[in-house]
Amino acid sequence: MDNSSRRDFLYGLGASLGAVALTDLLDQEVRAESPAGPLAPKPPMHPARAKAVIMLFMEGGPSHIDTFDPKPELSRLNVTESKRTSGLATGKRFYVGSPFESRKVGDAGIDMCDQFVHLANKEVADELCVYRGCQAESLNHPEALLHMNTGSRLGEDPSVGSWVGYGLGSENQNLPGYVVMTELALPQAGSTNWSNGFLPAYYQGTRLRSKGAPILDLKPPSFRTRDHQRRALDELAKLNAAHLEHHQQHDVLAARMESYELAYRMQTAVPDIVDLKTETTQTMQMYGLDNPVTEPFGRQCLMARKLVEKGVRFVQIFSGGWDSHDYLKRGHSSRIASVDKPIAALVQDLKRCGLLEDTLVVWTGEFGRTPDNNYRGGVTSLGRGHNADAMNMWMAGGGTKRGTIIGATDEIGAEAVECVHPIRDLHVTLLHLLGLSDSKLTYFHGGRYKQLSQFGGEVIHELIA
Amino acid sequence: MLEMKSNWPSKVRAAWIGSLCVCFFGEMRIQAQTQIPSQPKTQVMDKENGLKQKSDFTAMQEQHFTLKVLPLLKSKCLGCHGAAEDDIKGEFDVRTRAGLLSGGESGERGVIPGDLDGSTLIQAVRWDGLEMPPKENDRLTAEQLSVVESWVAAGAPWPDSKRQQQILAAERRVAENDEGVLVKTSGGLSDTWTYRRYEKRDVWAFQPLRETFQFDSVDGFVNARLSDAKLSTAPQAAPHDLVRRVTLDLTGLPPTVEQVNRFMKEWKVDSEIAWSDLVDRLLVSPQYGERWAQHWLDVVRYADTAGFSNDYERSNAWRYRDYVIRSFNEDKPFEEFVLQQIAGDEFRPDDSESMIATSFLRMGPWGTAMIPQDEARQLYRDDVVHSIGQSFLSIPMRCCKCHDHKFDPIPTRDYYRMYAALAGSQPAEMSVAFLPEENTAGFRDGQKLVDRLYAFADGKRQALVDKRESAAKAWYKEHDLPYKGVNARRKYPEDQKPPRHVGLSEMEKGRLKVREQDVWIWERRKERYQPMVQTVFNGPDQNQNGRKLRKPAKWNTKWKPTTNIFTGGDHQAVGAPVSPGVLSACGLPAQDATDQDPFTIEEEIQGRRLALAKWIADKKNPLSTRSFVNRIWQHHFGTGIVGTANNFGAKGDQPTHPELLDWLTRQFLANGGRSKPLHRLIVMSQTYRRSSTHPDPQLARTIDPTGQLLASFRPRRLTAEELRDAILLVTGELNPEMGGVPIMPEINLEVALEPRMIQFSIAPAYQPSRTPRERNRRSIYAYRVRGQADPFMEVMNLPNPNESCEVRDVAAVSPQAFTLMNSDVMTDRSIALAQRLQAQHSGTKLQITNAFELAYGRKPRTQELKSLTDYVEDMVKYHRQHKPEVTVYPRSVTRSLVEEFTGETFTFDEILPVFEDYVPDTKSASVSAEVRALADLAMLLFNSNEFVYVY
Repeated sequence: MDNSSRRDFLYGLGASLGAVALTDLLDQEVRAESPAGPLAPKPPMHPARAKAVIMLFMEGGPSHIDTFDPKPELSRLNVTESKRTSGLATGKRFYVGSPFESRKVGDAGIDMCDQFVHLANKEVADELCVYRGCQAESLNHPEALLHMNTGSRLGEDPSVGSWVGYGLGSENQNLPGYVVMTELALPQAGSTNWSNGFLPAYYQGTRLRSKGAPILDLKPPSFRTRDHQRRALDELAKLNAAHLEHHQQHDVLAARMESYELAYRMQTAVPDIVDLKTETTQTMQMYGLDNPVTEPFGRQCLMARKLVEKGVRFVQIFSGGWDSHDYLKRGHSSRIASVDKPIAALVQDLKRCGLLEDTLVVWTGEFGRTPDNNYRGGVTSLGRGHNADAMNMWMAGGGTKRGTIIGATDEIGAEAVECVHPIRDLHVTLLHLLGLSDSKLTYFHGGRYKQLSQFGGEVIHELIA
Repeated sequence: MLEMKSNWPSKVRAAWIGSLCVCFFGEMRIQAQTQIPSQPKTQVMDKENGLKQKSDFTAMQEQHFTLKVLPLLKSKCLGCHGAAEDDIKGEFDVRTRAGLLSGGESGERGVIPGDLDGSTLIQAVRWDGLEMPPKENDRLTAEQLSVVESWVAAGAPWPDSKRQQQILAAERRVAENDEGVLVKTSGGLSDTWTYRRYEKRDVWAFQPLRETFQFDSVDGFVNARLSDAKLSTAPQAAPHDLVRRVTLDLTGLPPTVEQVNRFMKEWKVDSEIAWSDLVDRLLVSPQYGERWAQHWLDVVRYADTAGFSNDYERSNAWRYRDYVIRSFNEDKPFEEFVLQQIAGDEFRPDDSESMIATSFLRMGPWGTAMIPQDEARQLYRDDVVHSIGQSFLSIPMRCCKCHDHKFDPIPTRDYYRMYAALAGSQPAEMSVAFLPEENTAGFRDGQKLVDRLYAFADGKRQALVDKRESAAKAWYKEHDLPYKGVNARRKYPEDQKPPRHVGLSEMEKGRLKVREQDVWIWERRKERYQPMVQTVFNGPDQNQNGRKLRKPAKWNTKWKPTTNIFTGGDHQAVGAPVSPGVLSACGLPAQDATDQDPFTIEEEIQGRRLALAKWIADKKNPLSTRSFVNRIWQHHFGTGIVGTANNFGAKGDQPTHPELLDWLTRQFLANGGRSKPLHRLIVMSQTYRRSSTHPDPQLARTIDPTGQLLASFRPRRLTAEELRDAILLVTGELNPEMGGVPIMPEINLEVALEPRMIQFSIAPAYQPSRTPRERNRRSIYAYRVRGQADPFMEVMNLPNPNESCEVRDVAAVSPQAFTLMNSDVMTDRSIALAQRLQAQHSGTKLQITNAFELAYGRKPRTQELKSLTDYVEDMVKYHRQHKPEVTVYPRSVTRSLVEEFTGETFTFDEILPVFEDYVPDTKSASVSAEVRALADLAMLLFNSNEFVYVY
């Protein structure tokens, strides 16, 4: 298919982009315009440090104070009155010391609360680049989730994974380029978190379910076998071919026929990924698949490794329930228990396969938590509120600094004070590691060239090795 | 012109191109980059002339500096190098020539007059060693670079401020020059913006509509461009294609067999009359309104819920959806359509229809959870300003929320004038009596279901509360204290009251929270059966909770909103005060303008929106009228005359046929701003009737790669709604009932029952409507939840309702194939068609023929008939060997969630009463192998390109 007809396929008939925009696009970094299709691999804009991303998203807002950013001062202040005013804080408040002990782990001496047992293994801990300087903007989950995932709070824009797919394509045409896995429930704001926004639909995140059909309607009801399907597709191809004779000018028809064949190939490629039978018992145990506490997240982490191995560009796994307004000790300890072993296994496994160097692992939430809390139901509730001014996250592999802590929050963890950057800078950095420049990775929409950072941002060089 | 020598350093060359002094130097050669261009070496005719040339040169250089260089220095450098006197970055001060000459802390000179390479300023802006401005996005363009370079090369003259003022004043008296045109507005934040020049083509949309025209028909304008381009046209399309094209276009449904036959018969008698009659029939059919309303609902972002954290149901949002359908069917004049939606409550406060229309102001996603009140209010008003601009004026307003528009003549002042017009508008749900034409069928059954679900949630909640309170009582007894209820004990110290969730297990703590949420969710859904309207009222700012937005009984009537420009869009950075008003760049005054300013309107809280609406609805408003007409054209041809229907600004597309757009707009206005005559004008043209196959496709593609010249018709894929509706029509299942409470089609069951987080809880499971009749209505009536899309519709590119959709995406992605081949929805539709075929005909060949007529409106070709007969017969054999499983619908569902109190999973049961007496579609397991084989055939037809595309 030549370039102009491919363009028809991409933007379709009655194109969503006007002629001027298209011409501009062709002159620019033409990311969706690869002759081999919108998802064909495209070279990075500058030498890349990472080829793929695995984003581990702790939905609800994990507490930095109770994970990787210990605050001894808070333990001293525990349950004393807080005069802090910020965000939506109203009424009487009190400080909450961490219910966990923290210790320094690995050769690098990364601070980690004692609930992390497996992540504390120096094989893993020394790979981490903990970042304490990031600041969010929104105090509520959906807006903050959307901000972290799409760069905007409004729920209209493409997600990070979609931008990456648009920028780099996918190495494996039989698998979706951007895969999303959720825990029990869809996160707040739902699929908008992995929406393609204004980018063409090819770049939308595809949800992969670990149980049942991995992709919705991937397979027909069981009375229609694969042979039955093959025959149906052949008959459909005949019908379409006869039709095409009368419409030879319309390349989009051939493209649509191709999409059916791709779908047929995906039917076997996708279940292979979900099927963990080929993995050794040892691997399965390493990810915690033998324990109901760690099994759900462990399965998804293992799938993430397999997906990245097969050339999937962006994998995102959501873990829910980190919103500990109350019963912090219980809430966070069991959340940590459910992800600790799987994540440690993932990092080690990626290392073992030689993939960690090229794979950026990101552990984050949508915001951090406050050092104090309000009296819920008139009771001293040991939990924390939402905090957009301070949070922590860590990265591993993909060109980030190993065994480092970057940035800092103040002595009670209320606010980031060192190496402070907004979320957009994190996004720009992420793209940078993938060999993409945020200011060049643009798409014309709504009257201007849009970019992930909205209006530009800067690379956080401190995070990069 | 300066003659360029190819051996010149390219940068110097670039520096001279476009600079004001080039013509003066004649054939002068510049040997080195460092040479100062002073006295030219060309012969001077005489002394006097030489002096004059010299002073001209100075004048030009001073102009160049004042008009070009200084604004650049200000916008690109001053922010860090002079704006704050006590914090000048790198001690490099660009406020004065002296500062530039002396340079910064490095000690190197910033500007060496005449020496480009030696000047650190030039190195920096070239990003050569130094990189300034530091951000890629702010970097100087090649053109800007040459402005600075030519200035330095010319000796960096810097006239004093008096001279600068003279130069500026003289320049601003010239309406149009080589640099472009001035556009008069209410004024920007700086004179530089106010007096900047625009390329004429970039401000086309702000110019008045043309008065006189070269042609007087659609074809006249279109054919003129084609003949200029020497491109032949495709012949008229075959009648079979035409009837399908126009029927889908005007009604969103394919023609029935009867409609096709009637048209073909009439066509043979007189094709013109046949076509004209067909168009008339379609325009009066109620399906016309259902189709064209959808386009408008896409633009205004219609949904039945509010989005974000709680995704609250917007009680009876459907009344607005039906208002739009009625408006198209009644062919409502544009003026009324505008006034009702933006200000119906002020326009005709006692008219239900006008009140319902104001739901337009409530269409955006919006929530108040965990958002400070003043910020939530700002978010709401920003959204409405942007939406009015984008929907009615094709001017997205968001750009000028923070600054004067970068490309269009819209100062931020105009943004806040529109904002001020909305400053007293408070979102609310209000009771507005149902109109006789509104469909309230199904209220009784619906209410029963909601009451039942409410009672279930409340019962579960109460049981948990009782359990907690009996434990509390025990606690008080044990501590020898008198029992206090949950609210009463709040204020007591903790040693005098029981723990917060006393008596509840970890599992029950989570369940209580879920049930509490469910109680109010279902309580709110009871409002579905009240005459609620999503609207606004004019009143003071008050505390708002998206859960319940009501008009207070009493308020301070003296309250008057004040509006200021928010600097940088930050509501805490209060700038200059503004009055309510309209956009100024068109030069069209507001009808209700104040005496002081033709673009501001009276400050009375009541009537601000109406004044704005009147300005938008004004026949002389070039933006709104063109915008609406362009949208209509776009939906007939796939692309508008302006390709970016939501954006007529400089960054949008240029009109391909600007005169045609104005002519059509004039026709539209002459017909009272009614749409139907406009549709007629368009579809009666030869342009619309052309075949999609061009006789010389290579030539067409070369001359007109984007197809904008309309030499042939652009085929298009059916939209999600058209596809679902077309399938239902072909299977005979489509229920044409119009309007009313949203229908719940059967969606993928896994998705229907999948937990979806909302604030504190998960949203209740999706339950389809009970009977096929209720479910199988047109897609425009389907319940639209922002947080949960019907996966069938979503995969077929149903737009995200959080953003205005000017045109549908039609990307062909593989998951479409999964849905169209494998989903239960498609299996059910195929069985339905198979049953219809079997009921009407016996014998495979007749059944296949019938299937082709129903789906394609034609008979199968010999080869198709033969091949498909074999297929169906083979499939009969196959299905005799393969028995489908029986479908079982669940009556309750156990849902699980990670509880934040414990970090562990907890479960709870939810009832699904709809499935107790559910009437499912006929399933594979209950039909014969013959029907299943015919269903395989049906599935092929529904998936085929011939079915999915319109030519």
